[in-house]
Amino acid sequence: MELGKGTVQVEKTAGQMAKSNAGASRFKTFFIELSKQKMLMLMSLPFLIWVFVFKYLPLWGWTIAFQKFKPARDFFDQKWVGWDNFKFLFQEQQFYRVLRNTLVMSSINLVFGFVTSIVLALLLNELRNIFFKRTVQTISYLPYFISWVVASNIVQTALAPEGIINVLLLKMQFIDHPVLWLGVGKYFWGILGATEVWKNVGWNTIIYLAAITSIDPSQYEAAEIDGASRLQRMFYITLPGIKPVIVLILIMNLGHILESGFEAQYLLGNGMNVDFSENLDIFVLKYGMQMNNFGLATAAGMFKTLVSFIFLITANNIAKRMGESRLY
Amino acid sequence: MHTKKWLQTTLAVVMASALLIVGCSNGNSGEKDSASGGKNSEVSKEPVTFDYFAFGTNRDTMASDTTIGKILQEQTGVDWKMEFVVGDASTKSGVMIAGGDYPDVISPVGELAKFLDAGALIPLNDLIEKYGPNIKRVYGDYMNKITNEDGNIYILPFTANVNGYLSPPDPTSTFWMQRRVLKEFGYPQVKTLDQYFDLIEKYQAKYPSVDGKNTIGFVTFASTAGEFFTITNQPMHLAGYPNEGGVMVDMETHEAKLYQGTEDEKRWLAKLNEMNGKGLFDPESFTANKDQYLAKLTSGRVLGFASYSWQIPDATTNLRTAGNDDLRYVALPIVYEENIKDAYVDPPSFVNNRGLGISVSAKDPERIIKYWDNLLTDENQKLVQWGEEGVTYSKNADSRMVMTEKQLTDRNDNDFKHKYGFAYFDYEWPRYGDNSVYEDGNAHVPFNQPEVAAINYTEGDKALLKAYKLDTFSDLYAEPVERPWYPAWSIEKEPGSPEQLFSQRAGDLQQKFYPRMVLASPGEFEADWNEYMAEYNKLDAKGYEGFMTGKVKNRIDGKW
Repeated sequence: MELGKGTVQVEKTAGQMAKSNAGASRFKTFFIELSKQKMLMLMSLPFLIWVFVFKYLPLWGWTIAFQKFKPARDFFDQKWVGWDNFKFLFQEQQFYRVLRNTLVMSSINLVFGFVTSIVLALLLNELRNIFFKRTVQTISYLPYFISWVVASNIVQTALAPEGIINVLLLKMQFIDHPVLWLGVGKYFWGILGATEVWKNVGWNTIIYLAAITSIDPSQYEAAEIDGASRLQRMFYITLPGIKPVIVLILIMNLGHILESGFEAQYLLGNGMNVDFSENLDIFVLKYGMQMNNFGLATAAGMFKTLVSFIFLITANNIAKRMGESRLY
Repeated sequence: MHTKKWLQTTLAVVMASALLIVGCSNGNSGEKDSASGGKNSEVSKEPVTFDYFAFGTNRDTMASDTTIGKILQEQTGVDWKMEFVVGDASTKSGVMIAGGDYPDVISPVGELAKFLDAGALIPLNDLIEKYGPNIKRVYGDYMNKITNEDGNIYILPFTANVNGYLSPPDPTSTFWMQRRVLKEFGYPQVKTLDQYFDLIEKYQAKYPSVDGKNTIGFVTFASTAGEFFTITNQPMHLAGYPNEGGVMVDMETHEAKLYQGTEDEKRWLAKLNEMNGKGLFDPESFTANKDQYLAKLTSGRVLGFASYSWQIPDATTNLRTAGNDDLRYVALPIVYEENIKDAYVDPPSFVNNRGLGISVSAKDPERIIKYWDNLLTDENQKLVQWGEEGVTYSKNADSRMVMTEKQLTDRNDNDFKHKYGFAYFDYEWPRYGDNSVYEDGNAHVPFNQPEVAAINYTEGDKALLKAYKLDTFSDLYAEPVERPWYPAWSIEKEPGSPEQLFSQRAGDLQQKFYPRMVLASPGEFEADWNEYMAEYNKLDAKGYEGFMTGKVKNRIDGKW
């Protein structure tokens, strides 16, 4: 995916260069440019093909959204139903509830995820003891590598009436009887946010730590000579230094705003928190895949793509206006 | 310089084309494989391995790694690569169907409608006619039930009983009570739901905690969508009906009536609500996952719970192995009123939507059918249930099949069952039904053989039977009544049909409202129930009942 995007950008620059040369010689310059860069072109060719095969060819499957799709049938034998699948989707009461849950949960994940991982990256960067730093880093991204099935089992056990959380809170006398954490719908978003942070924070810091290393050390030296405190250096050098990376990642993540995850909600969800835990993916699984209604599943997928597209372009344009780094 | 540049160019081109060629050649080799596996169907014992995929739970294996599989391989030359579903069954079946690449044989369990819809299974009629004398013998009486509406046979079910019908000596209900509770109060008769909960209440008042841990009054398993029926099915049983799924079928009019949204359901929820108010209902019933639930049952703190026995074998086996009979459970035939006849023992039934089928990708269907036919001889059916004489079972003086204690322990042992192959061959294959009897009068399933059942009882079991003056636990239950359509839950609903949509929506409502109603403070119960009914009444229950009644009546007329 990353590679694919890179190639598209190379294409673009080549195109723009060609465009900047005016008039009749446009074609000629284009080809001159092309032959100059034939090395690059040839090298990017496999990835272009890759992008086409895996990202564009499957779009053919969108036709399923307009069919009452049966797997065994030929394309031409399928029954075409027009917008029926979309109508079912948008007329379904549950749809708006799951849409709300999806948006809220992914916003929480986005905000929590950003703040915690940037803060952790800044703090890690200030550590001078390499051994301690490595240890903290390793511990913080260990949870990233366990599967959600295991992670959710840990969470369920910890949150059980006799789990560690309740025992601790009881001992500290914050509560006087155990709370059924997963049984109260309105706690679910918080629990999920905390779980996501616990699981992903370490991993997410890596990219920021990498960005921080690219900041010119002489800036820190100059600031130090000018008498800037450690906090001031963090705020006026490190943060602005990694701002382009932050903006870029934010834009990319906004494109995934309707992907609030699936496993966590599926595994931690139950009848008592269903009003808050059921998201778009689970809805599609229940009413699309499990009922063999591939048309509905595809329609929901198209809807998600459309929303992602809008978010991505809007965010990118805002970034462009504000003169920030951006995707394209 | 110049040459070097050309070298680079060539490299780039080679790299690009290599990528493409790799992609293409993979596809080609795949086709070649399947083509070469085509027709070589002389009656041979030439070694061959077929793929078997089942949607039941088990561990993957090669059939020849088990004793039974090895013996069958010696007879036929056929070996099986046996795989079982991991994770979500509907997702796995969806992926299989979307890919169109199937294993040779499939046991679809709950995914049958999808596989039929996708045309994944081949009709077996001609194959059975040509190569299946034993198949015809076993399934002959059930031909109308195994034949699909389009006139084809797609799967061979697991419940075709032959030579009469032997009731299991130790059936269970869905309501379990810890034995120490019964012991404490001198083994009283417990028949109604009120009596059941009263006893639990009295016991907990006397012993609020044991070994420093609080006792749990009543718990059930209602956290996952897949097994939410554990809590929703109970009104049906309490009203005196066997497990028919979402409906109760009237014995006279044969009308299938939903019990969701009826007084029967309300009574059950109101009782749970009352118990919750008294602190006797464990709210974790709605959040605990299966592992947590089983751990709780095994801990011995639970006084009563509701589950089907086949949901909790791990817990019951572990408690039995632990050896403390006071902490074990016994299932009781609980109903709403004294005058209701319980229906916990299944009537003779035929489940026609669970079975093994041959897929369209099968390399050699004839060979597979011959293997199945060979499997269905009396000898081989004895092999898959009893094993080999002198090894896993013995014969007594009257040439009845019996087991020594050692043999019985083995037959109950999970590891041994896998090593020997019972765990792989005694179900999810074409087979005699559980209630079958052999020509020589022995029971097909060892635990249905009275001689075996008798030595299977522990000391605690015997004490309990003595206290209630029973010979076997089946004496606790009412005799099953003939229900020619049974079970109604096996009536397949077409994917995407209004009936299927109704089931999904009604089920969603139950999942959402059950916890609210049960855990509501007693004053709010009525309001929650009304809200639930308002939502439920928006659904087309009448249409669903009409569909089910029609299917039930068809079955009575012999059209399955």
